[in-house]
Amino acid sequence: MSIVILGAGHAGLTLAREIRANSKTTPITIISREAIRGYYKPSLSKALSVNKTPDQLVMKSAETIAQDLNAKLLSNVTVIEIDTECNEVRGLFNSDEESSVLTIPYDSLVLATGASPIRLPIERDSTTELLLINNLEDYEIFRDRIQGKKKVLIIGAGFVGCELASDLISSGYDVDIVDLCEWPLQRSMPEVMGTEIKKAMTEQGVKWHLGTTLASVKTDKQNNKIAYLSDGTIIQTDAIISAVGLVPNTHLASSAGLTVRRGIEVDELSQTSQPDIYALGDCVEYQGVTLPFIAPATQAAKALAKTLTGEETALELPALPVAVKISACPTVVCPPLNKKGIWQVQGAGMNLEAHFINEEGAMSGFSLTGQCIAKKNQLVAECLPAFY
Amino acid sequence: MEFKKYCCLTCDLIYDEALGWPDEGFAPGTKWDDIPEDWTCPECSASKSDFYLLT
Repeated sequence: MSIVILGAGHAGLTLAREIRANSKTTPITIISREAIRGYYKPSLSKALSVNKTPDQLVMKSAETIAQDLNAKLLSNVTVIEIDTECNEVRGLFNSDEESSVLTIPYDSLVLATGASPIRLPIERDSTTELLLINNLEDYEIFRDRIQGKKKVLIIGAGFVGCELASDLISSGYDVDIVDLCEWPLQRSMPEVMGTEIKKAMTEQGVKWHLGTTLASVKTDKQNNKIAYLSDGTIIQTDAIISAVGLVPNTHLASSAGLTVRRGIEVDELSQTSQPDIYALGDCVEYQGVTLPFIAPATQAAKALAKTLTGEETALELPALPVAVKISACPTVVCPPLNKKGIWQVQGAGMNLEAHFINEEGAMSGFSLTGQCIAKKNQLVAECLPAFY
Repeated sequence: MEFKKYCCLTCDLIYDEALGWPDEGFAPGTKWDDIPEDWTCPECSASKSDFYLLT
């Protein structure tokens, strides 16, 4: 019973670890198109202010991972095809000039292919980079580009945009942040709460440009980046980062004929529409939603590892709060999956507690700021589970 | 009294018995064994069993 895992991010590596905990002998192969390094992806938006270099974020090398998991690791291999008739995947070494095809058979295949940053259609010349941060390699480039610079423009005021803004401003950079939304973290909290976060970060020096978009960027002769917003504002900066959300990596799955909507569709056993093929993490869609967070991927990996080692286990997800690292205003969010309902807010100033009440009158999500974050565990117990 | 440290497999967060975790309701000196089994990592929601002893 050999298991092949495509992807060595948090989902893929956690699954391998859990399979190995349940079975010492099951052969495991992990294939990644990147170099395989064990790191905690959420650290990418908070490493600067704790003085960590990209190298210092690596918790485990490929050698340690291979040894710990007793698994075969294929780094820098791009899988080009899943053959569901023969139960095998075909891949190419990224650097291989001969481009000889690797063929890897599987009994069970797990897609943990992750998600890619959304790229907005922004008019720019070929010399003006739009930086994206979704893996350690992207992050190394970002750190190189801001080294010795002063000003950074961030597109996107969601989780990653706000955390990056906080990390950069705490590290002495000037930060501008652009988003079409009316307040930061708009999808996860009511206006009054987002306004408090905005205010607290403004006091640190963050400059907000909300309700508008970045129309075009160019680089001038002095190598400054010039950003033109659709409201007429012109911003001179040193680097531009786009953090406007993720789109699941589904190309391989759809080419293999698997059912794909926004993400690769899976059932409560993490099984795709194809027997013997499973999926988890940022690439999947479950009950109509994608959940690009660490905690649901951990839970899915644990359940799937049991299923793959003989104990069929359905996925159950409790309410899963996410701490958003904003130094000016401690924040915890637990966004409702179904957006039908209303926010109820209590508290004063920055210390706010917001409950999301669904159409049945039950709390299906919450968000907390300031001192109210201490109520997290209590609210997790009161809140409806994400899936049940 | 000897205090131990435990590290989260997923995110590297360290629970130090000497410091406890006041935000989570654990006073300084709270032993790892006295932390509820259903407690989860405040950073990444990993379970208590996902922490390993730092030696």
